[in-house]
Amino acid sequence: MPTTNLKELSEMPELLSGGHAACPGCGGPIAIRQALLAAQQDDSYVVTSSATGCMEVVTSIYPNSAWRVPFVHSAFENSASTISGAEAAYQSLKRQGKIKKNIKFIAFGGDGGTYDIGLQALSGALERGHDFTYICYDNEAYMNTGIQRSGATPMGAFTNTAQAGKVGYGKTQTKKDLTAICAAHGIPYVAQVSLHRSRDYLKKIQKAVNTEGPCFINVLSPCPRGWRCKPEDTIRLCELAVNTRVWPVYEIENGRLSISYKPSEKKQKPVRDWLETQGRFKHLFSPKNEHLIEKIQEDIDTRWNDLLRREACDQQN
Amino acid sequence: MTENKGKILFSGNEAAAEAAIRAGCKFYAGYPITPQNELIAYMADQLPLRDGVFVQAESELAAINMVFGAAASGVRTMTSSSSPGISLKQEGISYIAGSELPAVIINVQRGGPGLGGIGSAQGDYFQSTRSGGHGDYRCMVLAPATAQEMADMTFLAFDLADMYRMPVIVLSDAVTGQMMEGICFDDMEEPKKWSKPWALTGATGRERNIVHSFHLDQEELENFNKKLQAKYEAIKQKECRFETAGGDAPEYVMVAFGSCARTLKQIVTDPPEELKGKLGLFRPITLWPFPGEALAQYAASAKGVLTVEMNAGQMVEDVRLTVNGKIPVHLMPHPGGGIPVEARIRKKLTSLFCDDPPKQ
Repeated sequence: MPTTNLKELSEMPELLSGGHAACPGCGGPIAIRQALLAAQQDDSYVVTSSATGCMEVVTSIYPNSAWRVPFVHSAFENSASTISGAEAAYQSLKRQGKIKKNIKFIAFGGDGGTYDIGLQALSGALERGHDFTYICYDNEAYMNTGIQRSGATPMGAFTNTAQAGKVGYGKTQTKKDLTAICAAHGIPYVAQVSLHRSRDYLKKIQKAVNTEGPCFINVLSPCPRGWRCKPEDTIRLCELAVNTRVWPVYEIENGRLSISYKPSEKKQKPVRDWLETQGRFKHLFSPKNEHLIEKIQEDIDTRWNDLLRREACDQQN
Repeated sequence: MTENKGKILFSGNEAAAEAAIRAGCKFYAGYPITPQNELIAYMADQLPLRDGVFVQAESELAAINMVFGAAASGVRTMTSSSSPGISLKQEGISYIAGSELPAVIINVQRGGPGLGGIGSAQGDYFQSTRSGGHGDYRCMVLAPATAQEMADMTFLAFDLADMYRMPVIVLSDAVTGQMMEGICFDDMEEPKKWSKPWALTGATGRERNIVHSFHLDQEELENFNKKLQAKYEAIKQKECRFETAGGDAPEYVMVAFGSCARTLKQIVTDPPEELKGKLGLFRPITLWPFPGEALAQYAASAKGVLTVEMNAGQMVEDVRLTVNGKIPVHLMPHPGGGIPVEARIRKKLTSLFCDDPPKQ
């Protein structure tokens, strides 16, 4: 049985080595390292692909590589297409009896390469039904190219292409709900996870890689550079994102949604507490913009209530 | 900023963005890619304040096709990217050319092929000057060598695009795009106004306009292509631009474009002592149309030509076609990113053109 015990995991060989060039406090390598450790256990091997992005750039500048599992990178938009090809080849070799290994295929992408330019390729791979897991590390903007807005950037966040000043207040549009889009493909397993709930994250990775067919996992990945937050606060911010319900953690298994963690009344916090922790939202606290905080809170409440309704509905059926 | 009459310290990317706004660009669609991010950030900051629309698209394909739509409506429009992103835009550029619409495309080149690198390169010469997408079309191509020229040529590109109803590419590179220099925008106050009777502005009170690049009838498509080619011939006659350095009738001619030409200009002011005979530089400013006749005249009495390019040798083909075997044409390729250093070019010059080259 695969383990999610942190002590046991810490004794396993690292599959994403140290020495890569990610910034201090980056959530990306934590997401990848934990996912690889969770997936490559017992008799399973992992093969990965990655979209262009921070994690690709910091881990795989030729001839160096931080990956101790097979890793393919080609272009920005095609992580899902690349893993589709690898998985199809594996299925063929397996049918021909030329390969016996039990291989798990994982595609990684940031939010730019997943929510935006890679969405077409991801949708195609989900629809074709390849046996793979796609993990999106969502740091809510194009950080690799210097903080430009993406479909994942939340409303009100400052980026270099969604400016805040006399006129602008950061991004004017709301965040795209990619987890729901993936779920709408009718795939067997979809989950939204948080790095501060380590065991939950590892379990969901294991559930995904051991489910036949396409699976999708969305993980919020703090970016101190882009969020203008402290590197040492990465995990605290993940917790705050969940307790403010900015980033609900839930899974949809064979169409049935269940919320993995509901903050108690004591733990639940207003979105203001989340916004205060990051420089990218600083301008929202000016008198001109303060009404937006209410709007953001309303959006969060609406989305949360939708999740609760959906969960109740799925439990009845 | 609009009131400032002096020089402003800007990167080439920002200079191009500012010039575009001054040229009356009302719609810009972009997508992040290094080394042109300063341009998209500047547009995001400034364009909405100055009566324009900025969109960060979800991909390069989306961005170029948004520009296609904006161009059809008759507004001045632009997109920018760097080499891999420009490759993704090629389908849209072909459609814009096929629909005879004006648009400006800035390519801040980086090394290739594939993902390549993010260093400066000139590997997109073929892609830009032939036709990067499908079909018999051309784009006018301007090659700036300084941050100031990125501004000047972007401003000019809008006029050329409107005049000839075609996509115009400003072919820059990482060095020119990211280097900061003092920029003067004094001559960019009044953009020319072009009448655009073909634009889709709402057909109330007039015959409807149709913008398309679709001709199922073979004869119709052939005639359309002939019309395009006639336009391109006229451009070849009228729009060749170039500059020379080192005086007339040089014995040895160096040919280079863009940032690479800047290094060579330096050498021409202080040629290697061992070189017996005058050294000149010919710098094409329009890469398409290529100023071939001008080069042939300039090099008429030359004994040898050296082409220096930040690629494996692309423009050299046009140089060879131009001199047509009359003069030996040598190539100093520099693929893979980065500018060739002056000392290496000097060494190459003496080894090629001195009977008794100095031992290094």
